[in-house]
Amino acid sequence: MDETTLQVYSVLFVMATVVLVYTARFFQKRPGGRRAQRRLDGLERIAGWTTQSIESNRPLHLAIGGSAIGADKTPAALAEAELFHQIIKRADAGDIAPILSTSTPVMIPLGQGTLRRAWHKGDGASRVIWYPQNLSYASAIAASMAGDKPAAHIMAGGFGVELALMLDGADRQGQPSLAVSDRLDGQAVAYALADHVLIGEELFVASGAVSEEGSGHSDAAVLDVWRGLIILGATLLLLLEFSKQLPLLTWQLAAAGAAVLIVLGAVMYRRR
Amino acid sequence: MGRAGISAFVAFAVGLTTLLSLLLGDNPALFGGGPGSEELARRLALPGDVLLRLVVIVLALSIVIGITNLLYVHVGRVARGKLYSAVLLASFAFTIYWYVSRRGDSSLLEAVQVPIESTLASLLFFSLIYGGARVMRRRADIWGLLFVAVVIVVLLGSLPLAELAPLKAWSDWLMAVPVSAGARALLLGIALGTVVAGVRALLGQDRSYRG
Repeated sequence: MDETTLQVYSVLFVMATVVLVYTARFFQKRPGGRRAQRRLDGLERIAGWTTQSIESNRPLHLAIGGSAIGADKTPAALAEAELFHQIIKRADAGDIAPILSTSTPVMIPLGQGTLRRAWHKGDGASRVIWYPQNLSYASAIAASMAGDKPAAHIMAGGFGVELALMLDGADRQGQPSLAVSDRLDGQAVAYALADHVLIGEELFVASGAVSEEGSGHSDAAVLDVWRGLIILGATLLLLLEFSKQLPLLTWQLAAAGAAVLIVLGAVMYRRR
Repeated sequence: MGRAGISAFVAFAVGLTTLLSLLLGDNPALFGGGPGSEELARRLALPGDVLLRLVVIVLALSIVIGITNLLYVHVGRVARGKLYSAVLLASFAFTIYWYVSRRGDSSLLEAVQVPIESTLASLLFFSLIYGGARVMRRRADIWGLLFVAVVIVVLLGSLPLAELAPLKAWSDWLMAVPVSAGARALLLGIALGTVVAGVRALLGQDRSYRG
């Protein structure tokens, strides 16, 4: 595919996403049109952890890791800030502000802004902590777990294998954890070591699941639509490829199979 | 228009300008490739270039914010009697003194920081192995079992032993087909999420801009 075609497709893709976002919001605002977001086990624990934090007067630890605005992970960093905003807002009834840690200094102003907007008992500037990248960050956070005694760790951001040190530390201290990383190595470590884990695009729908606001739910719906279309496209391509290789499998049969799969998928989705 | 409205408008204007500049700039073929198309493409690319350079300058300055934050947080902690924070501040001051008095000598970094980080990296290995072993305690289901089985096959397959040659083939297949497919699916999900979150920011819907 040449560069011009790629650019045209990119523009069309972005425009289609804009249209989908507005359409989903329109339907979300209609009476009775609010769509329930699919349940994610890890996110359902956050309410309990927040209550525990308030009652025990122990802070929540929210880790952004290496995500940063200004780089290619800017949207991910903004999604994480939105998730943390919703969590801090829930914890606002308590007396102790959550601790927000990052390994990229450019996230400090965003973190402080998030705390300022969601936490109404002081500026919370000293609750945003920066340590240098990767291992230094992980070891500093692991070391501070014994002193700060967080009620729970919610690690959503850019983490690599160094996440293992933090999750191991949390486990040793008996502190529950939820982890998700926008890097593959960090995601594998999160799956193995965290008490609860989010995977892939679940990071981007997390704020909608935690909040009561409709816009997060509609963004989740847009993601579901795109994901469904990609799965559908991949399935069709796979079946067409099979139909070329197997003499008995014609493209008509492949199309019929795909139609059955789509109907089955739609029925299962509606039931869930 | 309130402060939030102005912030959202500025975010929208800058975001849209950069997006259009990156998508349409520097490609004369998009405008038919005629006589004026090269100049038009170059002009379209200019605003995006300028804004991205500004971002680079701001990012370079952010390290100052980081150091200020580090000192601010740990001075407060020392006041509350935290020993580790006092050690951190003392190390910080000593490192700067060493670097200035020895005219740029970075031996302290090489003699202390590098060995400590290497030690941590080796500890990380044990944490990962321990984590792998703990998966079955946490997730005693088919997926946990599959995870551990794949880890074992890949680890054994990477050993240079002739007796384990069949496992090497399995390991290669696992890495090339299911692991690669899973990784692509994960990255695809993250990419879709990035686009939706980017559109949200572009439309000024993001809370960071709304004040």
